[in-house]
Amino acid sequence: MAIVNMKKATIIALQDEKESLVKSFQAFGGLHVISIEDIDDEELKNIPKDDAREDATRFEGLLSQVKYSLDFLSKYDKTKKSMFAPKAIITESEHKEYLQDLNKAEEVYNQCKAINEKLAENRNMETKLSNTLVQLSPWSQLDIPLEEIGDTDYTISLIGFIPSKSISEFEESLSKSETEHYFKKIDDNNESAFYFIVFYEQSEDTILDILKQFGWTKVNFTDLAGTPSDNIKDIEEKLILLEKNKAELIEQAEALLFNNSYLEALFDVLTIEKDRKDVISNFVKTDKSFTIFAWVPETMVKELEESIKKVTDSYLLTFEDPGEGEDYPVYLDNPKLVQPVEMITEQYSLPNPRTVDPNKIMAPFYIMFFGMMVSDAVYGIILAALTYVALKKFRLEGGAKKLIGLLCLGGLSTILWGALFGGWFGGLIQIKPLWFNPTDEPLMMLIFCLVLGIIQLFIGMGIKAYVDIKNGNVLDAIFDQGLWYVFLIGLLLMIFNPAGKYLAIAGAVGLILTQGRDKKGIFNKLFSGVLSLYDVTGFLGDVLSYSRLFALGLATGVIGTVINEMSLMLRGSFIGNIFMIIFLIFGHTFNIAINVLGAYVHSSRLQYVEFFGKFFDGDGMPYRPFKVNTKYIEQKN
Amino acid sequence: MNIMEMMGSNAGLYLAFLGSAIAAGLAGAGSAMGVGIVGMAAGGVITEDPSKFGRTLVLQALPGTQGIYGLLIGFLIWSKVGVFGTFVNVTFEQGLMLLAAGIPVGIVGFFSAIYQGKAAATGCSIVAKRPEETAKAMVYAAMVETYAVLSLLASFLMLNSINL
Repeated sequence: MAIVNMKKATIIALQDEKESLVKSFQAFGGLHVISIEDIDDEELKNIPKDDAREDATRFEGLLSQVKYSLDFLSKYDKTKKSMFAPKAIITESEHKEYLQDLNKAEEVYNQCKAINEKLAENRNMETKLSNTLVQLSPWSQLDIPLEEIGDTDYTISLIGFIPSKSISEFEESLSKSETEHYFKKIDDNNESAFYFIVFYEQSEDTILDILKQFGWTKVNFTDLAGTPSDNIKDIEEKLILLEKNKAELIEQAEALLFNNSYLEALFDVLTIEKDRKDVISNFVKTDKSFTIFAWVPETMVKELEESIKKVTDSYLLTFEDPGEGEDYPVYLDNPKLVQPVEMITEQYSLPNPRTVDPNKIMAPFYIMFFGMMVSDAVYGIILAALTYVALKKFRLEGGAKKLIGLLCLGGLSTILWGALFGGWFGGLIQIKPLWFNPTDEPLMMLIFCLVLGIIQLFIGMGIKAYVDIKNGNVLDAIFDQGLWYVFLIGLLLMIFNPAGKYLAIAGAVGLILTQGRDKKGIFNKLFSGVLSLYDVTGFLGDVLSYSRLFALGLATGVIGTVINEMSLMLRGSFIGNIFMIIFLIFGHTFNIAINVLGAYVHSSRLQYVEFFGKFFDGDGMPYRPFKVNTKYIEQKN
Repeated sequence: MNIMEMMGSNAGLYLAFLGSAIAAGLAGAGSAMGVGIVGMAAGGVITEDPSKFGRTLVLQALPGTQGIYGLLIGFLIWSKVGVFGTFVNVTFEQGLMLLAAGIPVGIVGFFSAIYQGKAAATGCSIVAKRPEETAKAMVYAAMVETYAVLSLLASFLMLNSINL
């Protein structure tokens, strides 16, 4: 069984031993604690719950402070961490010490926060000043103090700019206007021309009209005093000061870096403590005892009892099977080779615990499709070798490990299909295909792809039938899948032998009679039955969708050939040869990347839409055991 | 003087070039637009969280394949008529067939790349809000690509049946 059976454990023990028991549960690492809110029991609702929630919240707050400090400091940490560095080891007594001295963490947090706030303030000032500087720079030649620009008793003075292209026309119309005025072009930067203008109050309307006509934009420096050049000098000095200030702040941050290893260890210690409190908050509490409900994999039942026995003799432990219609967490247990493919299913949805885990059946198809779509043996060798090295050398966990594993398996499959179809580095290496060349015999390849599709779809229907039978719905399996098998196989046989017609008709009649069985009234039943035959187009579409196996394989091969031919055009001189090699490397790297991405996406799609569409029932709840979860340290007793 | 006389004995070759231009040009233009659309959405995501660069880049790459499919068919047409060596004699009828073979991947590639780009751009907001669901965003975009793949197949099968 790929979906592990779960037992519901009820543990009752003494309050006095609560702490040490929780510790042993965490070390055991297999309990999926049932949240107390999810238990639907009237009696339980009246019994008080443990009040550990407050503690958990307190730890959460501390954790976010530590995380803030770590994130902040990481920006200034220039030392590179090796991926292979062993985790720091923290003993039980050290763990306690960390918890006693939490003030230091808060101190560091406050320091980090203060520095960060000052840096942000610094940054704001800097942007504001640089903006003013940009606005001032065209006016550097204006030798009038800015506060003196404006209205006097009889005159008005203005500064502003117009588009450069109308300079001569603008100056001409000003000169022609019958007003007394003075204007001076201060600067001109191809885009805009900057002017200073003084005129008498009574000619304001005439002048403003001209200004408006040429797209005048008025400039105002309300909060500045002194000449523009004085201001510019002043701002530049201020900016240098700010820069210095920033460097000082960064130095202060760097001086805090020595706290990093302390913070990292504390982060893990706090996570462990917080997880414990979270679990305790799901305890049902009486004066002397507590009760906890949790799912535990069937295979770990004995281990659980032993781990409790090590702590205490006074406990009560009972196991129950999941009740009718009760959902239990889904824990997939597959052989090592299948595990990478679990990722594909997990990204879709975990299976419902009462159905089947599709991974084992899906794995060979997924890997095969991946190989067929990349279908170049040399690409396969490169992909498999790189991912194999990554798997062996790096400490990969969880999703990353599965993804690299998946690519490694895909690479191996690519080698096989590349050899079968004769794809070796886009044809640069001429090796005869072990089977046939799809580009030369496209029809054969197309038929092969569709046959693979029919096989996978039939298997999908078979799984649905199996689930129905397992859950006691034998009739559903016969009517929904059995008759479809008869009908479809009949249709397929018709390609080779007209006698298949009779099988198809038998299947069709059966489907018409049974598919409307949930409907009321003879007419409705028959109508739904006839309508259901229309689903055959859906099946046809699903099968045709597998033709992408051919098309994507074709794309890899032809692009590879294009890269080769274009590179070989450069061959000849010494420099040409060098360019040829560079072009080959870049071209093929690109081709591998884009095709591996395509193979991953399209192979997934074939599973999700075509294969899963036939049987899959998702929405499984993931199995999240209560265990020691550390990022930086390793715990030791 | 009719058109055929105007084009002379190279009529078939002209049509073949037109076919390859439609295949590579239209599909490429579509991909450029599609990739651009995703790029704009991805840029927005990155301003909030630069660590999502990898995921959004994968989404951005998806509508790029149509251009490759188009180039692929274009390349097959060129190698058929001898662009890389000596030109072979292409009759007017053969030229029309080569032109027709370039059309599916060109037109479907053009539209599917744009719409795939839009689907992937929406996928970027999935990456922004629920990064763990990136795979689903990719599948939505890949649904659109199906038709580009089918048109590639159509173009290829047509092309494959033409013997010069």
